[in-house]
Amino acid sequence: MKNISLLSVPLLLILGCSDLDLPSEATGETRHDAFASTYEPMQSQPTLFKSANIYDGLGGEFLDYDLLVADGKIVEMGRSLSQSGVKVIDASNKWITPGIIDIHSHMGVYSAPGVTSSSDGNEATSPVTAEVWAEHSIWTQDPQFALALKGGVTSFHVLPGSANLFGGRGATFKNISKNTIQAMKFPNAPHSLKMACGENPKRVYGNRRQSPATRMGNMAGYRSAWIDAVDYREDMQESDADKHPKRDLGMDTLMGVLDGEILIQNHCYRAEEMAMMVELSKEFNYKITTFHHAVEAYKIADLLADEGICAAMWADWWGFKHEAYDMVPANIAIIDQARNGTGCAIVHSDDEVGIQHLNQEAAKAMAAGNRAGFNISKAHAMRWITSNPAKAAGILQSTGSIELGKDADIVLWTDNPFSIYARAQQVLIDGAVAFDMNNSQVQPVTDFDLGIIQPQTIRVQ
Amino acid sequence: MKYLSLSFFLLFSLNAFTQSILLKGGLVHSGTGESAQIQDILISGNIISRVGNNLAVNGTTKIIELNGLPVTPGLISPTSNLGIVEINALDVTRDDESDLLKAGFSIFNAFNPHSTGIPWNRSNGVTSAITSPGSSSFPLFGMASYFVLDGSLEIKGLKDVAMFGRMGSSYGSRAETLSMLESLLELGQQASSMPIEEVLEMRLADQLELQTQDILALKRLVNNDLPFVLETNRAVDILQAIALKKKYGLNLILASVEEAPLVINQLKASNTPVIIDPMDNIPDSFDELGSSLMLGKILDEAGIKIMFSTQRSHNYHLMRQGSGNAVAYGMSYETAIQGMTQTVAETFKLGARGTITQGKIADIVVWNADPLEPSSFPEFVYIAGKVQDLSSRATRLTERYTNKENKPSAYKH
Repeated sequence: MKNISLLSVPLLLILGCSDLDLPSEATGETRHDAFASTYEPMQSQPTLFKSANIYDGLGGEFLDYDLLVADGKIVEMGRSLSQSGVKVIDASNKWITPGIIDIHSHMGVYSAPGVTSSSDGNEATSPVTAEVWAEHSIWTQDPQFALALKGGVTSFHVLPGSANLFGGRGATFKNISKNTIQAMKFPNAPHSLKMACGENPKRVYGNRRQSPATRMGNMAGYRSAWIDAVDYREDMQESDADKHPKRDLGMDTLMGVLDGEILIQNHCYRAEEMAMMVELSKEFNYKITTFHHAVEAYKIADLLADEGICAAMWADWWGFKHEAYDMVPANIAIIDQARNGTGCAIVHSDDEVGIQHLNQEAAKAMAAGNRAGFNISKAHAMRWITSNPAKAAGILQSTGSIELGKDADIVLWTDNPFSIYARAQQVLIDGAVAFDMNNSQVQPVTDFDLGIIQPQTIRVQ
Repeated sequence: MKYLSLSFFLLFSLNAFTQSILLKGGLVHSGTGESAQIQDILISGNIISRVGNNLAVNGTTKIIELNGLPVTPGLISPTSNLGIVEINALDVTRDDESDLLKAGFSIFNAFNPHSTGIPWNRSNGVTSAITSPGSSSFPLFGMASYFVLDGSLEIKGLKDVAMFGRMGSSYGSRAETLSMLESLLELGQQASSMPIEEVLEMRLADQLELQTQDILALKRLVNNDLPFVLETNRAVDILQAIALKKKYGLNLILASVEEAPLVINQLKASNTPVIIDPMDNIPDSFDELGSSLMLGKILDEAGIKIMFSTQRSHNYHLMRQGSGNAVAYGMSYETAIQGMTQTVAETFKLGARGTITQGKIADIVVWNADPLEPSSFPEFVYIAGKVQDLSSRATRLTERYTNKENKPSAYKH
């Protein structure tokens, strides 16, 4: 029996400055504990997948391998594994990948049906709303969660919208339907702060004859807020607690970024604006984790690679606004291949249909890259929808790849996942089967779905 | 770069376009719904002159060995904004709405053959498209036209091939929408028996400030002359639409129809073709609660004619991905191909296009692999027998930014 050690990458947060277990005195214990995750995995049984083809999400491809999961974790991968007392699944001619992760979702904050009463993603009342948290808007019965699960999505990052310069905090979730938001929250995942460049903030506020009405107004707005945050942070670091300013939710968030605990997820399309945001981050000494949408990222691919900033992109969406006019389908591949392949490319959805087919979006992006002269394998492209978004969400230490000891968040596909004909046969989250295409009892049905068209049935059989 | 070598080839072959071309040994999906088979296709001028095995040709025929590559008819999008919307969020680049006209609004003269969406969609296998007016609060948006996507200023296509409209959730009652639609259709009927001027003076026409063009379009609708694409989703609305079709003798095509599975027998009996987005399984509104990925399969099993729209504008070739997903969920493969080709041509009466059969206009795409795989792409695109340049702004930008020469990008062109 020959096994391969999969612990080739240290299980560290690659994001450098993030440490999830910050000493409480640095930031104040209350803030860390508020609204903390109460997530508990569903019951699982040890399972051995036999003779699977596996993409590990880190660039590796393993044909005809066995995979053992137990106690919610990935336990062993190798040839001809055997283990007594476990459920055995014949996975021959099928594929296993890490669970798909979407770094840009609005599920729950823009729930379906998309009616005004469920429009909870943009606090478009002021250009700086760093004080709002997306998780406080989420509707747990959004039917979109289960549809994404059927597409193999095991974790997703929910962001506020892009109307504001600072839209508020985002949070990461395990795709298990529960009746409280905290029970879905990914344990120990960092918050993010959504920032937005370009047309959206200047349109929303410019139309109201207030700042920002221009791109330079956008920049002035970010800088003013950071100046306040730097002051607030200094005051909060006073050793005499009596001299601390009154707690400010928005400033807490910005301070969290300056402290390296909160990750910047920055909506930005144009090359020069992304470069400007990099300058801004240096002026105030914070780190940008990911540029989102980044339709022109390919124009500054080397800069992003040098700065260690990921870009989360669509495969081919364009033309809906001016800053999305210069789309190239090789964008994702060009980012990936920058500086000798050290770039960090992510395929994101920002869309309730797209999130169900991220594997197909990655297939298009890979094909476009190879047409442009690169040589990108499927195993490599799998990173764009697994380990890279995990890294960008700050959860790579526990998910996003098939490595020993990681959460057993995996998908068993009927076919190669880069094919249009592949469907997720089973989706496991922490080793528990959250979706089984052949067993309706293992397919989540929200309260919304129940008896809504006809009392005797569920919404979609 | 691959793009460069391809363009050299194109220059050469464009010079020789009058010559006959034999596409030899491709896996031909004819678009008629029949299974694909390895065949030769002879293109003479702008026409497919023969399809068969081991076709004999004369010495001047250019022979292209396909070695089993898949071949389909050029894809036809049954709805698009190609040529009339450059950038959705910029009104000044849009020509898809009218303040003055309603049913009679024709987008035909707004078509810009130089719009960047045209080479992009063409290079992805879409050789012609129906361009439709944008949706409005009025239930009839106006008339769509058909365009060949060869990018020529000599615009080839058909003017005013279908009326587009919508019925369903809005800020008013759908009962009122339905009643308004009936009243409008009755105006169209009256236009057959009285002068247009008198119809214009009728109370409803006057109140709605209808113009001569509106009445003429309504007249075409009720005379079963103009296909009527009505977007609707809720099961009971689909039944209302079928009742309208019967009562007024409409040439009805239903679009979206996300709850069609709930009324599948009635829809089948009404012999109404549909346009669907197979990937849209989101219950976006309370009209679409029955939305699912099984829609394509259920319609196909009922024998209903299916065409495909896409979720987002500008990428109409993604109907390949949509129909591919429908196939993954049980629709037949050849229904998918047919739905992007022959079904559109026949439903909208687009002339001799949409199949690879003798005598049809030679709109043909040769694919590098399975055309339903979204990672596949065209190797060759022919429109009316002429091989097309497959470059676009996207390929130009890609060339520029993968060029490693040490100079500013503005000097790389």
